[in-house]
Amino acid sequence: MRKLNIKDIILDGLTYLFSSVSILILITIFIFIFQRGFSSLNLGLFTSPYWSQNYYGTIPESNRIFESDVNFDKNEFYSEKYGIALKDDFNARNEVIVVISYIHPDSPFNQLINASSGINEGKLIVAEEGMIVNKISYITSNGITRSAGPVLKQNAEETIKTINQSIQLDSAFIQTQGGGIMGSLIATLMLIFISLAISLPIGIMTAIYLNEYAKYGRFTPWIRSSIELLTGVPSIVFGLMGVLVLFPITAIFGANGTSIFLGGLTLSIILLPTIIRTTEESLKVVPDSFREASHSLGANHSQTIFKIIIPAALPGILTATILSIGRIIGESAALIYTMGTYISDKPELLKGATSLAVQIWSIMNGDQPNFGLASAISIIILVIVLGMNIGVKVLTRSKVKQW
Amino acid sequence: MENSFTINNLNLFYGDKQALKNINMDISRYEVTAFIGPSGCGKSTLLRCLNRMNDLIPSVRMEGDIIFDQENINKDKIDVVQLRTRVGMVFQKPNPFPMSIYENVIYGLRCQNIKDKNVLNKVCETSLRKAALWDEVKDRLNDNAYGLSGGQQQRLCIARAIAMEPEVILMDEPTSALDPIATAKIEELIQELKKDYTIIIVTHSMHQAARISDKTAFFLMGEVIEMGETRNLFHVPKDKRTEDYITGRFG
Repeated sequence: MRKLNIKDIILDGLTYLFSSVSILILITIFIFIFQRGFSSLNLGLFTSPYWSQNYYGTIPESNRIFESDVNFDKNEFYSEKYGIALKDDFNARNEVIVVISYIHPDSPFNQLINASSGINEGKLIVAEEGMIVNKISYITSNGITRSAGPVLKQNAEETIKTINQSIQLDSAFIQTQGGGIMGSLIATLMLIFISLAISLPIGIMTAIYLNEYAKYGRFTPWIRSSIELLTGVPSIVFGLMGVLVLFPITAIFGANGTSIFLGGLTLSIILLPTIIRTTEESLKVVPDSFREASHSLGANHSQTIFKIIIPAALPGILTATILSIGRIIGESAALIYTMGTYISDKPELLKGATSLAVQIWSIMNGDQPNFGLASAISIIILVIVLGMNIGVKVLTRSKVKQW
Repeated sequence: MENSFTINNLNLFYGDKQALKNINMDISRYEVTAFIGPSGCGKSTLLRCLNRMNDLIPSVRMEGDIIFDQENINKDKIDVVQLRTRVGMVFQKPNPFPMSIYENVIYGLRCQNIKDKNVLNKVCETSLRKAALWDEVKDRLNDNAYGLSGGQQQRLCIARAIAMEPEVILMDEPTSALDPIATAKIEELIQELKKDYTIIIVTHSMHQAARISDKTAFFLMGEVIEMGETRNLFHVPKDKRTEDYITGRFG
């Protein structure tokens, strides 16, 4: 008969309790984010810009009936007179909108002429399914121009009914939905490229210096501990330093404020300690017998390093790279200063933009926080980072003891 | 017979600790010289002096002369890379590089910037033949060297050393990680190789020293206690300590 020890029971109980609490917290976060974000998640998110485009176009005359054999849902309303179907929907902020759900190939809506002044005046507007209809102007039998659509608090059904009674359509005010992440996605990719292009060579070479050239140097331990210290510096401090110290560098290239370049420079400094440490660890794992064998065959130091050590340490260096990419995708604080918070749909190297993580900040920081989109971006970031981590696991496992 | 190495008054220190004490030794050409002795007696350290591998350890300090081909190699001035191409080395554990068999064999040549494909192919074949490995690997030269068995890997390391056309091959307990059959093959190979090369082998096994070597040196606590013809050293040791060691009273 086992003796029941009250102390053991309490300790066991606490262990179970706290570990289940931590797992519960994790699961709650995931469920919360997925619940909020999943409905906003679709492929169009990746390809559409964040800001909606407004179009004001005149509608050409048409005198025929556009018969359609498409089966419409009961919430879609089709106008045979003008060849367009509308339906009610909600935007990311949960406001009621009317969107185009179908356009007949010959419909006059396919021949909208841009009527807003500017370089695009007179050009064809490509109306697409999914665009928001704000206002459609029509001409009544009396020859008076009237408006229909959501501006007059009409829903899809009412709008279609109204324009069906008209003689002729005059103009339409439509806009793209927006709310996409294409710009931030491109900016993030640019950021990854810049940061890695700067920090990988510096970091790897530093690690090689520390582990292969100056292994027993008098200052090596000092250098190493200062690099480790850098790991603990909050990233917002790096952001501040980026603004103060690195901005002049980007200014030489013509940046006059926050820019992707500045963000990349700052991030590359944040990444350095991780890259140096991970690379150094992987160099340490390369057995000394390789170094000895190489030297005994008459190879000099740099031949040994570049022909034997680095190829053998490659999985570790790859791990460092993947960890860095994860860090870049997740970083936000340092980028708010250096890259700005204005979401740009056409990111440029020397202009401000947001990374995916900062886009969340920007969306949530506005007057009307968009929880759905923010959660959808969170899911995307989570999935990418998860994929990266699995990649690291796979890589390190395949590395295990080939020699 | 001509000497390959002549060692005069060699002292070696790891920091403050003296690892080799006043070593004097002649090593003959085209013979197998074995270094025996208990662990930590300095035999591997001396072996590594002969191609300056101790340079890789920062705290080592050496005094004395090692004459190789009329030149004192224990000087800062000598070309260590060139010395190592003339004095090859095989290590305790088979340590092929994580690359193909072919690349392993010609690695030393590549480091000498030899790029001629014909030369490289030829050296690869002759080296593998000399190391008695050609027939086993000729169909898979591009496979990773780690697909070979331990004994094959060690013979690959020997082939790798031979490819440099050295005059001397240093072997640091080359069979200690191998099974008896692989060991026998390596020993047979050493007998074959001594026609062309001077071989110096460190071994823990006194039987191995007795089987394959012409001369044997017995080390104890950083000193050479006795050195001579293997037959004499094992049958009529002059020193009491040698006798105690080879009869198994210690070590």
